[in-house]
Amino acid sequence: MSPKAPKEEIYTRHASTRPSEMGKPLAEIMNPEGKSEVLDDLLVLDVSCANFAGIISASLFAEFGAEVIKIEPPEGDPARQITPFGANINGVGIPFMFEARNKRYMTLDIQNNENDRKIFSKLANKAAVVIDTFPAGDMDAWGTGFRQLREENPGLVYIAITPYGQYTDKAKQFARLPDSDITTQAGSGLPAEMGDMPDAGEPYNWPLRAGMWAGWYISGLSATLGGIVALIHRQNTGNGQMVDVAGMDAYSSMVGIPASIGYTWGKARPRIGFLDFILYPYGHWKCKDGFVVIAAPRDHDFRALLKILGLWEIEDDWRYSSDRIPDILEQATHLHKLIEKETIKYTADELVKKALNYSRKSARSKWRGGGVPIVMKLMTPETAMTHNQWRIRNTFQEVEDQDLGKYIISANFVKMSESPPRVKWVCCKIGMDNDYIRDKYLKNL
Amino acid sequence: MEDYFSYTEKLFNPAEAAAKPEALKGIRVLDFSHVIFGPIAARLLADYGAEVIKLELPFAGDLWRPATYWGKYWKHSNPIWHNITKNKYFLSVNLKLAKSKELIYKMTERADVVIENFAPGTAEAWKIGYPQLSEINPQIIYLSCSTYGQYGPMRYFPGWDLLAQGASGVLSLNGYPDRFFKLPDYLGDFVPGNFGALAIMMALYYRNKTGKGQYIDVAQTEVLMRLLPHYTFHSVTGGEIGRTGNSDPAMVPAAILKSKDGKYLALACTTQEQFRALLNAMDRKELLADQRFTSNLTRLKPENAKILTEMVSNWVKSETCDKIIETANTHSFPAAEVADDYTICNDSWRRARGSVVLFKDSMYGELMIAGPSAQLSGTPSRTKWLARPLGYHNRLVLKKFLGLSDEEIKDLEKKKVIGTFDDRPGLKPPVYYDLAEDPIYNYGKEANQ
Repeated sequence: MSPKAPKEEIYTRHASTRPSEMGKPLAEIMNPEGKSEVLDDLLVLDVSCANFAGIISASLFAEFGAEVIKIEPPEGDPARQITPFGANINGVGIPFMFEARNKRYMTLDIQNNENDRKIFSKLANKAAVVIDTFPAGDMDAWGTGFRQLREENPGLVYIAITPYGQYTDKAKQFARLPDSDITTQAGSGLPAEMGDMPDAGEPYNWPLRAGMWAGWYISGLSATLGGIVALIHRQNTGNGQMVDVAGMDAYSSMVGIPASIGYTWGKARPRIGFLDFILYPYGHWKCKDGFVVIAAPRDHDFRALLKILGLWEIEDDWRYSSDRIPDILEQATHLHKLIEKETIKYTADELVKKALNYSRKSARSKWRGGGVPIVMKLMTPETAMTHNQWRIRNTFQEVEDQDLGKYIISANFVKMSESPPRVKWVCCKIGMDNDYIRDKYLKNL
Repeated sequence: MEDYFSYTEKLFNPAEAAAKPEALKGIRVLDFSHVIFGPIAARLLADYGAEVIKLELPFAGDLWRPATYWGKYWKHSNPIWHNITKNKYFLSVNLKLAKSKELIYKMTERADVVIENFAPGTAEAWKIGYPQLSEINPQIIYLSCSTYGQYGPMRYFPGWDLLAQGASGVLSLNGYPDRFFKLPDYLGDFVPGNFGALAIMMALYYRNKTGKGQYIDVAQTEVLMRLLPHYTFHSVTGGEIGRTGNSDPAMVPAAILKSKDGKYLALACTTQEQFRALLNAMDRKELLADQRFTSNLTRLKPENAKILTEMVSNWVKSETCDKIIETANTHSFPAAEVADDYTICNDSWRRARGSVVLFKDSMYGELMIAGPSAQLSGTPSRTKWLARPLGYHNRLVLKKFLGLSDEEIKDLEKKKVIGTFDDRPGLKPPVYYDLAEDPIYNYGKEANQ
């Protein structure tokens, strides 16, 4: 008999927890080991250049099992050198290492070498997906665009990622304008919604960039999402198509809010710093030993928060959601400060405990109205990595490459019982799979 | 050969989009989800042709129906909710009653996808979880959305987009050393919602090949974690990227700056070639020979980055925004003016492209709706109708999809198994709208009954 498993510590507001009805623990059901891969019969060619949106899109295909070939010139994709503070191992930057998932590497100089273009076209005849980030029309002018490749390969899904897309006069006029994360963020409206309040002084009240690659990651995700729609259509009909991602759409089309608010308000929203337009309290506050994140936006959540912070006497002034999300910033800021006066008295752990205890009682009491004030300790990426939740879910994976050594990546981003995505290997070596690819795809041609 | 842009103009012609095939036609989705995360996954499937039936509680409805920016309604509806739930069928059943479960089980027999984002364990406890529904239909693809996932010690911890931002660490990254801000517009719901749709479509592709359904567990925190190379940076260097204000520390220069005419713009160089182009534009070619700036990796050193960012910032200050964008285009380096709600709604190129669509709806009239974040030439995404009042499609779904008779529907109404809206904005139709004349709301009723 196996030794009894140690009792699991569970954070819950309910008194007891029922075991899963699926017979086995979910962690076991969702384990990717030995499972099928969705796209294991597809070839994806990534010819993106100095553009992480293309690289990210290719990674997502690779994680779902496609054979992905990263095609770059002999000196390597310049994206290898796009890295925070120049940090690199043997000339390979951190983001490139992070996205080096399950890929093959081949050298072809499509931009300059006529012969290499021919080889690429032959390879593309066998591909299901091509990912292109060159200026709109360049691949077409080189004879390797969608228009030419579809002649031989009518099922081809051709993904193009550029700032302004492949059609409209604007796309034509700005075809030679290159892509980057920060310009994609700016052009699609994210920074306009972020940053300190109008009276905070410069540069704090300027539009603020997201401290992650929101532009490139959204473009890459959109490319693969469009790609899988096209692959389903291909599976049903055999027909390929073009998927056109414009970086300047990235944020605005992902959230959809700017277009509708711009129309119904007839003007742009102001930047409101740490406040929120719909939900309040919904943000972060200083506490004794750092910051806590608090979400208690529904009326009963808010009442609960007031009780645990000893602020019940102000309830009358802030009873309704509309009291707490006014378009008078002064009013909302006032409440923010009232709350901060209390949070600063406690450590993060104390506040989390108070909220959990209250929620636990409220779940079983008809008098407390079910309020669930959520308080958590603010994490940085570095502290988040060490949390037990993610260890149990295998969210972080240690990978090893002979040139790059061992390092940690975040992976296993969705769990699926039959065909989950996974990272099988990482590697970044330029031209590493030239022979393998010639043998497998280009023999007898 | 035909000019490339005239070829693509025809290939993507928005005027022809409505007549093109739909990739997910015939796929039926039961959407039990609420707020943003789950509903966005379902809406993306609806945009590409799936039949999405959204279930809500009578007289309460989705929590997000009345949740609008600064409490401002538009025609008694929430303007941003149209984008989140367009193209869906709105069915309002009281999940608590046994009779409603029969309806759901009946729908499950012919459904392909189920989506829920209750607190983990709730759907199972209500007998509409994967264990129960996969018994009825083993080919079902079932997506559970949550903040921390369906297993692990934090699984019951409640969450919002904000909590996922806090738990992944991304909340701590936006801003300056002394202050930081959350990502706006509930991005921590929208991006994971898109990943949810991606996982469902992967599962549909897999089911087409093998006939197998499956269970999917998407934790929004894990999705946000997938977007952060920060963990790898920490594991390789031992350091932190931290907050770097308006400069991207991975490229130099790369910052949001203010121009002479007081406009904000982003400017960047991802390659040495683009840096050369920028120096040409600034008439500072002599710097190319400077040892500090000869490659991306040397420019990225913090001390060199500081010098270059300051130099570019001064140049931007001395020129108008339009001039800089024009120069960037001629010289080929990335630059863009910071767009806001108003410009996104009104830019003519966005309307021409279909990035935003002035949609004419039969109930609400005209509303600007965002287009898809990827345009497909063969099976484009489209908007067919906006959000609808609570329970608007009750009759249509029950009669057309489930084949119930008028008698049976009347009985369900009487027993309060199905219901509609009360007087709250967000739930009810616009005041000017006469539902009695609406053929869909009254689906299958005789004209004069």
